Amino acid sequence: MEEKLLTKLFEIKDSFTIDVYLKHDGYKAVEKAFQEMNPESILAEVKNANLRGRGGAGFPAGVKWGFVPKGVDKPKYLCVNADEGEPGTIKDRYIMTHNPHLLLEGILIASYCVGINTAYIYIRGEYENVALGLEKAIAEANAKGYLGKNILNSGFDCQIYVHRGAGAYICGEETALLESLEGKRGNPRLKPPFPALVGLFQSPTVINNIETLSNVPKIILNGAETFVQTGLPKDGGTRIFGVSGMVKKPGIYEMPVGTNLKEIIFELAGGMKDGKTLKAVIPGGMSAPILTADEIDINMDFDSLAEAKSMLGSAAIIVIDEDTSILDVLKIVTKFYSHESCGQCTPCRIGTKWINKTVQRIADGQGKIEDIDNIKRLAKNILGKTLCPLGDAAALPILSIVNKFRQEIESYIGN
Amino acid sequence: MVKIFIDEKPFEVEEGITVFTAAEQAGIEIPHLCYHPAFAPEGTCRMCLVEIEGVPKLELSCATVVRDGMKVSTNNERVVEARKGVLEFLLADHPMDCPICDQAGDCKLQDYYEKYGMFESRYSENKEKREKKRKIGQTLIHDQERCVLCRRCVRFTREITKTHELGVFERGVHAEISILEDGPVNNKYSGNLAEICPVGAITDLDFRFQTRSWFLKSGDSICPLCSRGCSITIDSHKGFSHFKVPKRVYRIQSRRNENINGFWICDIGRYGYGYINENRLEQILLKNEQNEAMDWEKALKILSEKMKKVHPMDRSSGAVLILNPWLTNEELFLIKKFLIENQEFENVYLIDIPDGEGDDFLITTERSPNKRGLQELGLKAKSLSSDKLPEKIKLVLAFTPPNIDSAGSASVKAVFDKAETKILFASNKNDLSDVSDMVFPTAVIAEKSGSLINIDGVLQNFSPALEALGDSRPEWQILVEMAKEIDINHKYYDQFSSPETILQEIRKEISDFGKKSD
Repeated sequence: MEEKLLTKLFEIKDSFTIDVYLKHDGYKAVEKAFQEMNPESILAEVKNANLRGRGGAGFPAGVKWGFVPKGVDKPKYLCVNADEGEPGTIKDRYIMTHNPHLLLEGILIASYCVGINTAYIYIRGEYENVALGLEKAIAEANAKGYLGKNILNSGFDCQIYVHRGAGAYICGEETALLESLEGKRGNPRLKPPFPALVGLFQSPTVINNIETLSNVPKIILNGAETFVQTGLPKDGGTRIFGVSGMVKKPGIYEMPVGTNLKEIIFELAGGMKDGKTLKAVIPGGMSAPILTADEIDINMDFDSLAEAKSMLGSAAIIVIDEDTSILDVLKIVTKFYSHESCGQCTPCRIGTKWINKTVQRIADGQGKIEDIDNIKRLAKNILGKTLCPLGDAAALPILSIVNKFRQEIESYIGN
Repeated sequence: MVKIFIDEKPFEVEEGITVFTAAEQAGIEIPHLCYHPAFAPEGTCRMCLVEIEGVPKLELSCATVVRDGMKVSTNNERVVEARKGVLEFLLADHPMDCPICDQAGDCKLQDYYEKYGMFESRYSENKEKREKKRKIGQTLIHDQERCVLCRRCVRFTREITKTHELGVFERGVHAEISILEDGPVNNKYSGNLAEICPVGAITDLDFRFQTRSWFLKSGDSICPLCSRGCSITIDSHKGFSHFKVPKRVYRIQSRRNENINGFWICDIGRYGYGYINENRLEQILLKNEQNEAMDWEKALKILSEKMKKVHPMDRSSGAVLILNPWLTNEELFLIKKFLIENQEFENVYLIDIPDGEGDDFLITTERSPNKRGLQELGLKAKSLSSDKLPEKIKLVLAFTPPNIDSAGSASVKAVFDKAETKILFASNKNDLSDVSDMVFPTAVIAEKSGSLINIDGVLQNFSPALEALGDSRPEWQILVEMAKEIDINHKYYDQFSSPETILQEIRKEISDFGKKSD
């Protein structure tokens, strides 16, 4: 059982270079895939590994690849979602910075499996240096013949391009990402049609997260059976938990799926900073419903968190201590979503701003007791009624904060 | 066909249509703002959400295709609550300036609030302040505060005109429809933008602050300004008993017609209604009769005397008939039967209406509504501007169109200058009305019934959208009465009580008349 599938090389000097990567079994999975396997057996292996999407939704990657139709005239595309905009999330940046070739190898195998010759890495605009690093890595891979025409004499061609976004959270939503990549305004598309059938440039498209694809080489090299030994049978492998907030050692921690949240905060991250008491944890990026200090004895996997009415999301853990006002948390959450709403559909465009204004008014000392129920009512009017998941991503944390910390919010009203 | 249930009632509907369309066909209204049948579903206003049994979330009726056995609720508590929620969001920052908004009375937001909303405002935050009158085109003003961001206008400039002038700028609550600084809406169909705006966000300078929509009466008609024959509605104002209004016709809008113009009309047709309001002839004029009130009966007697004075021997050479392509099929047929065949007018001329710039969408280069009708009736007319005139002219009967230009009227004037007796049938004052011996006021297309054949050979019937002005009458009616006055075969003309009866007679002679569409 290997516990560091993704971050193992991070400590090694120049881990981002192809030479170091090659010294550590680099591109061995591609060789195996091309020489010993075929697209069908690769797909079966990834499906058996139960590799669930690391972007947040947790959709099985193998199933997603399987949706792409075979024998179509149009080119197919792989879009790699490196927009990493979910507040608290930093895992993909680490992979791209310290082990870009792991990602490139994953991209190659996925492309080979689905029959894709062109892959785009859509990277958030703020990651300028990371994008430059990726381009360097792509150049190295091209020079060594791992990219380009007739890779490893397999007859398979593949090229990877890096495309920088311009700073919009919404472009991490897969269809908005496609629009942006096509050079349009990054607005989510109406589904169906789903990207697997009609995606980038109207062609069949796979969209995967960085961390998801970076798991693929290990699955191919060691087999699905070995992969599922780490983590849970239905949710295999590790997660890179990004711990931020009021802990002693914030940072990224790669641990098997299902690791206990309490263990991550109090052991790996060193516990609370300055001896403060834990108040709340946002367990999966800002759009995950908040957990109170009593609720953190929980396993960090998709199903356990769903059961607790929160979500694993991008596994970004935000730790909040007793000194942090919950109203400030709510202010940041509501400000963020109203700022990042694309403005396309009514409930998200107006609802997020309305709630943000009300929260701000409460913070300014002008709150009324009925504002709390009104915030809940508005969040419910957003929930499930928007075109893309941003509406739910905004409504769920708001509802959870208001429900779980109502007393504290009330204390800010009328004082 | 698939069987679906809408609000517990079963319906057999076509496969592949959306829930919205199925409901519409069943007569069930689903409120909507961004959906427009001309465009692919957008799914952004979230007004048309419905509940579908077995589907956890509410679904967009505009984008969900019907499935066999599907059970849809368009009006249960959950759907109504969601709809109210969306309405509440839309109205939160809405300026509520309905009392000064042109759209009031025609506004979907207003209608839906009255039908599905009726809640007290719970919005206690400051409303967003935005620009209220950004000029986005020659005739268009955009009000950012009223805008619901349905993007119908954006899609129109992308999908219909392909001119791409409009777009969404900024993000979230600051998102707004606008133009690039140096790229105002500039296309020949821009007026449609004000029409498809479901609220009062895009208003038309031609209509802005002119009247209230509830004072207007809408009537269906056909646009006569080119040979396409687009379906239109004409909105007119009757005035008040103690207060005259400055205009009769206030606006022209497009009327859906899949065969001809779809949902759209061009700006030429939309804004070119001035001739219906201005410079109209309202009374019969008789030269040398000073201030004598002239009724139709008396005038037709005088006309008949004048016509009889021209000796039958002189008719073929010395009488001239001038026609125009605005006359309806029925009128042209009566002219053929009565004036050409019976009264032996052999010198028949047609006023030339100059071509304009056409496009590959609706506007035709030919700028007259019924040239094809003339051809199908087999009416042979010489060109007034290029063919020779007879040496001596005793009598001329001229039918002039409302949009006769100076060259056109000069060509008729050349005939008038040579003629002894000049009779004019016209709807609008022109250079000829002062030099005619008699002027008979006629109704314009908007005021009459009849049929026209468009450039593709499609025959279209139309009815009056508004009453004829003053003493004016449609030409077909004048012609029937003239024929009776001159007293030839009274019985034949007695049957023509309406344009329909005349069209029946045309089809007796030309069985496939108006049925030869290309």
